[in-house]
Amino acid sequence: MLVSALDRLLGALPYAFAVVIVAGLTHILSILAMPYVATRDAFTRIGELAQANRFTLLPQARPGAELAPFSDPAMLMGVCRFNIADGPVRLRADLSNVDGLLAFSFHDRFGATFYGMTDRSSLRGRIDVLLLTQAQLEAVEALDPEDELPQDLRLVTPGREGFVLVRSLIVEQGDADAARKRLATASCAQEAPKR
Amino acid sequence: MFSLQRLSYGAGPEGAKQGPKRGPLRGASRNAIPQPSFRAALDPCLLTLLKSLVATLVGVGIGLAATWLAVERDVRFGLVATGPWTSWPRSAYRDADPYTRASLARTGEIPLSLGEGLSFVARQDETGAALDPRCDYVVGGAIPPARYWTLTVMSPKGALIPNASERYGLTSAEIVRASNGAFEIAVSSRARPGNWLPAPPDASYALALRLYDTPASSSATALAASQMPHLRRGACS
Repeated sequence: MLVSALDRLLGALPYAFAVVIVAGLTHILSILAMPYVATRDAFTRIGELAQANRFTLLPQARPGAELAPFSDPAMLMGVCRFNIADGPVRLRADLSNVDGLLAFSFHDRFGATFYGMTDRSSLRGRIDVLLLTQAQLEAVEALDPEDELPQDLRLVTPGREGFVLVRSLIVEQGDADAARKRLATASCAQEAPKR
Repeated sequence: MFSLQRLSYGAGPEGAKQGPKRGPLRGASRNAIPQPSFRAALDPCLLTLLKSLVATLVGVGIGLAATWLAVERDVRFGLVATGPWTSWPRSAYRDADPYTRASLARTGEIPLSLGEGLSFVARQDETGAALDPRCDYVVGGAIPPARYWTLTVMSPKGALIPNASERYGLTSAEIVRASNGAFEIAVSSRARPGNWLPAPPDASYALALRLYDTPASSSATALAASQMPHLRRGACS
């Protein structure tokens, strides 16, 4: 009786192992696959609101109408969804009259940030960022004058697609117009391919 | 034989769903008993196959259930806690752990990058007790240097909660300070004089503190609790 019970237990052991291993593998694979299969991720949400390579102002966050969870309602947002497959994309913003705060974050297709800054890191009162691939960067650098430093910040993006989120602080409630004005100085456009 | 099957079936809630399916198959193998030679050749083979199949299905079920739980509960690594304020300073980046990336992909959250600032969430007061919507709270004292900061009331999942005054947060430029620069913000469902942040009277909530353009970005792992605002429980109704 005892022997047969032990026998059964030993016979079940491979299946128990199989369950554990399959469960572990499924868990790991599904966690890793989540960014690829998620249907409500940041890039998809932004894709529904904004055209590629154009700067789009997003409506102010209200309960039930937010871009994403845990976004600051004191921040007005604008977005540039970029696709640099056909040429680099340039993001510009004029900061000469900024007394609030503008924050810029650059994200890949999976929402991960590859660069982030505020207006404080601007040069000469403006933001001028060129998003490009490594090959496009080499092409642009080949055309650079030898004796001058580039006037723009060049960012090689991981992947062809992604988005830039520009946030403008509503410094005081009711001051959304000023924040919107600051945000409206931003633009985003594809560069004509240079050869 | 049956104890083996029970063992694999009993391993998860999915086993219960698989239960009815095996009925006819087991019946079929029982019907095969009158033909000894046939049964001897087929049954062990079929049985092993069946058990392996069930083990695989149960394994897949448990694995997916674990993933669902991890994402739903927002399991992440790299938590930095300073007093009641919690933060995941690296969660915005590509080197964030796979659990963080899975959770963010599922919720669509776009965390603040260190170049922009730091964000913190408090779900408990400074004694470690969960924030109670029936109580008032006071946030104040020290705050790390930042160009601007905001304090926001959000649902535990990060949504805005409707309120009559349409005020969801306060910015550092809006609050009234004492002459020495100290401040206190009352988080309450009833209107308060001074700095008042409306809170829902009947729903649980969390407080989000965001520091924009702060030198603390570079030392997020080393912020002392004394540098962060206190979060004290006041009167309860």
